Parts: sequence; C-alpha cells; structure tokens
Amino acid sequence: MTRGKFSFSVFSGGEVAFDLDTCWSCPSKACVSACNAPNLGCVLELKENVPALRVSAEEAARGGCVECLACELACAIDGNGGILFSLPMPELDAYLAEMTAQGMTPGFRRA
Amino acid sequence: MAKLVEHEGKRLLHLAGIEIPVGNVATGVAEAAAIADKIGYPVAIKAQISAGNRGLAGGILFATNGQELNERASALLGRTLHGRQIQKILIEQWLKIEDEHYLGVFSNPSTKTPTVIFARHGGVDVEAARHGDGVASHDVDLTVGFRQHHALDMLRLAGISGRTLAPMARMAVQLYRVYRDFDCTLAEINPVAITARGAVAVDARIELDDDARFRHADVAIDDHDIEIGDRPRTEIERIAAKIDEFDHRGSAHFIQIDPTGELAKAQGKISIGFDGVGTGVSLIALDELVSEGFLPKNFCDSSGNPTASKMYRITRVILSQPDIEGYVFVTPLSSQQLDNTARGIVKAFKELYPDGQPNIPCVLCFRGAWDETALAMFEQHGIAKSSLVRLLGRDATERDVAVAFRELHRAWRGSTPVHAS
Repeated sequence: MTRGKFSFSVFSGGEVAFDLDTCWSCPSKACVSACNAPNLGCVLELKENVPALRVSAEEAARGGCVECLACELACAIDGNGGILFSLPMPELDAYLAEMTAQGMTPGFRRA
Repeated sequence: MAKLVEHEGKRLLHLAGIEIPVGNVATGVAEAAAIADKIGYPVAIKAQISAGNRGLAGGILFATNGQELNERASALLGRTLHGRQIQKILIEQWLKIEDEHYLGVFSNPSTKTPTVIFARHGGVDVEAARHGDGVASHDVDLTVGFRQHHALDMLRLAGISGRTLAPMARMAVQLYRVYRDFDCTLAEINPVAITARGAVAVDARIELDDDARFRHADVAIDDHDIEIGDRPRTEIERIAAKIDEFDHRGSAHFIQIDPTGELAKAQGKISIGFDGVGTGVSLIALDELVSEGFLPKNFCDSSGNPTASKMYRITRVILSQPDIEGYVFVTPLSSQQLDNTARGIVKAFKELYPDGQPNIPCVLCFRGAWDETALAMFEQHGIAKSSLVRLLGRDATERDVAVAFRELHRAWRGSTPVHAS
C-alpha cells in the first residue's frame, strides 16, 4: 500500500511536504516531537502512525505553522529524512543564474 | 525608506485629486514621440531617476517639435546621471508658470509629528529659504489632522493671499492625505506651479515607510522605481526586500554598504557578509571588524524574533554576494528565540554547502535566549566540524567575534589580512 504525500502551505510562501511511506517506517517521528516542543508551532500530530496537521490547512497557511523548520531539521537528524520544507526564492535563483552567466561567482560557490 | 521616482509619486498625488501635468512615461524614443504627439507640443522630457538637481544636471529638457523631441529623448535615454542610468523618461506638458511655491509634509523627528511646510518661493533654491521669510509650517496633531483652516493659517503666515490661497490650501490638505493614506515619511511638491488653470504639482518627491508597504498592495509600485538613500536599489537588495514585504514576523532588513566592492578595494579591506540581531550590537561588531581589516559588503538586521524561514532566506541572500571572504553572524544578549534564528542559518548552510560545511570563514555568535540550543544545532548538523566555522556563546564580546574571524580568515588565506591604519 502506498500512502503518498501530504503537504501544506506556509504563510511566507512555501510548502512542507511529507513522504508518508518514509514517515510510516520512521521509528522516532521526531518531526511531531519537535513541532510540539515548547514555544514552537504545535501544528503536527501523529495520525495513523504518520504526521498530520492538528489544525486546518488554511490555519497552518495563515501562520499557524510558525515556519520554525524544526520538523525538517529534526527529521534529518533523528528521523527518516521524509520531510522537505521548500521555501522558494525564484527571483534569487534568477539573479544567481544571471550572475553566473556574466561570469561572476556567488559567494557560496567560490572555489 | 523607499523613494519613488517622479512619475510614481505623481500617480499618488493624482489619486488624491492633486492636479499634475498631463503626461506619460516612455522607455524608448518612438514611445516618447507618440506621447508628445498626443499631448501636443511644447513638452518637458524628464529623466526618471530619484535625484535632486535633475534640471541643473541636464536631466530635464524641453522640446517644441518632433525633431527636438527625438534628439533630446535619445540624448537622455541610456545616459548616466548622478550615478543612475536613465531607463525611463516622463513626457509632460510644458506649463506656463506664473509663480512657484514649495509644499511638503514630513515625519518630523524633533516634534514627533507630521509637519506640513510651505515656502512661498519654490524651485531649485528652496533649501536657501528661511523660516519666516515666506516660509511657514504646521506641526500636525494626529488626533485632529490637518484641516483646511490649518492650511489657510499656514499659508497666510507665509504671505499668500488672493486667488492663490484657496487652491494652495486645498492642495496642502490633499498632500497631507497622500502622506497619511500611503504611509509616507515624506511627501513633497517642488515646485507647485501657479498657472492659469490653478495650482499644479510639477514635481513630486515621495518616500514611503517600507514597513507599511504591505498595506498598499493595490498601489502597484514597480520595485525598480524605488531607491534607497542616494542610489538605486541593487537587484539583490530588491530581492531581499521581498522577504520582509508581506511577512512582518521579525525583520530581515538588508542593505548593501559596498555593493560593487570598490570601497573595500580602495581602503585595502576585505569584503565579508554580515548579519546582526539589532543595530546597536551590529554597529559595535562592524567597528571591530573594520578595525581588523574587514569591510562588510552588507548590513543586515535580523531582529524582532524572525521566523526560521526568514532567516533561511536572508542567509541565502547574504551568502550569494560575490567576492565575500567570510560571514559573520552576531547577536546581543537577545530576548529573541535564537533556536529559531539558528534553524534558518543551519538550513541555508546545509543547502548551499556540501555537508553544510562552508567554503569561507564563518563566525556565529549566539548570546541570549535559547543560545545554547542554537549553538548545539550547528554541532548536531555537522556544521561545527568545519575548520572554517567558529561558534561563540554568551561570554564572547564583539571584540572576540572580530578577533576570532580574523584568525579564521588568516588560517584560510594563509596570510595576514590587511589591517586598518
């Protein structure tokens, strides 16, 4: 059985996506613990052994998810690496492409 | 503060009912000619850059026929004036002006009120005018506002009477509305031209409060028409400003100190990326870094408890700047949730660098709430393993930050950075 993906949008423009098959086999469910730590967002809960929103997707997108990134970083260390918190910056990407085309090197790519 | 170029400023004046000359913006000569044909000659051709003394510097020309327009529009477009390339020109009616006044509203730091100011003699020499010498002002009580009678009193004090009085008073009230409605820090018309058809705003200088721009999404202002200080925004500043535009959970105020790197080169210093929590500590840290031979390419204030996502984005921006030879992040004894702050930087490092380990020296100093949690994250994610990363905690001073960075940089380059004299 494939559980597929689960995702929700965040206020600043971006998306948190969970690969639920990866999450199903995760022994720690570190994302849920991280999200429910004091002073963080508390929007995730465990439902049927996989992470789910305890608030509506609309509420999460209105700022219910405080974009602390704790879920993704905890998952990378203690979980199965099933979360991608994407925060696109298309204009920066275009700027970097233009910079590269002009023969300049962005600071993070310098040799 | 975001400065609008003339035609954008005039658009706001027009929305408030202030009379402006008939005209339109062109980016090419053919477009300019079409606008002039529609308006009718003579016309003014005005470089759309936000700089003072455009007229004296040759940025405002006139044309009485199509041939003159073609010649003069060609001469202006693409030319550099006050360090800005002219990409747009405003083609406007050439008005027959009987008299010129100055009218402005600004956020007055002395009185902590909006202040409306009027000078009887406007135009290029208005700065030379003195209070009382045809100049009058009114500090506005925000609970009362600026009404017609306030305007009339101010104008009479400046010596205005007769048929000019009523239209000038109306314009002053309308300009105050522009200032309030669009969250300006400055709304200025210089000159106000008195013509046969009444008072007309011949030029406009509008500066907006950046933090209030989200309230004016309906006023579509082209980001490229906004300037910072006395120069146009750089592209990377424009991109960074987007981070804060609609998300006010903490700040990520980014400005480039030395966009081209020429200042660092001229002073024999080394360009680095910089991010600080709060401007006070940032300025102290900058002083220390400069004294060690480094010149931050940018200034950034990431205070007010920004979200980790905001920290991630601004860190990507800072580290994208070409030619930087390091990155310094420093907080004061901050009350903001520094683990959030750290997560953003950690995510940026992990995405930009293999195993999160940077290619340039980085000093990260966390002092304040959740500082130990913040520092531990760099250990947990393997970033601290890098020989180019130095973590400092609450016992460190700004001097320690600068010295640690100098040592890292020296080890990285295998040479001693140039010291300031």
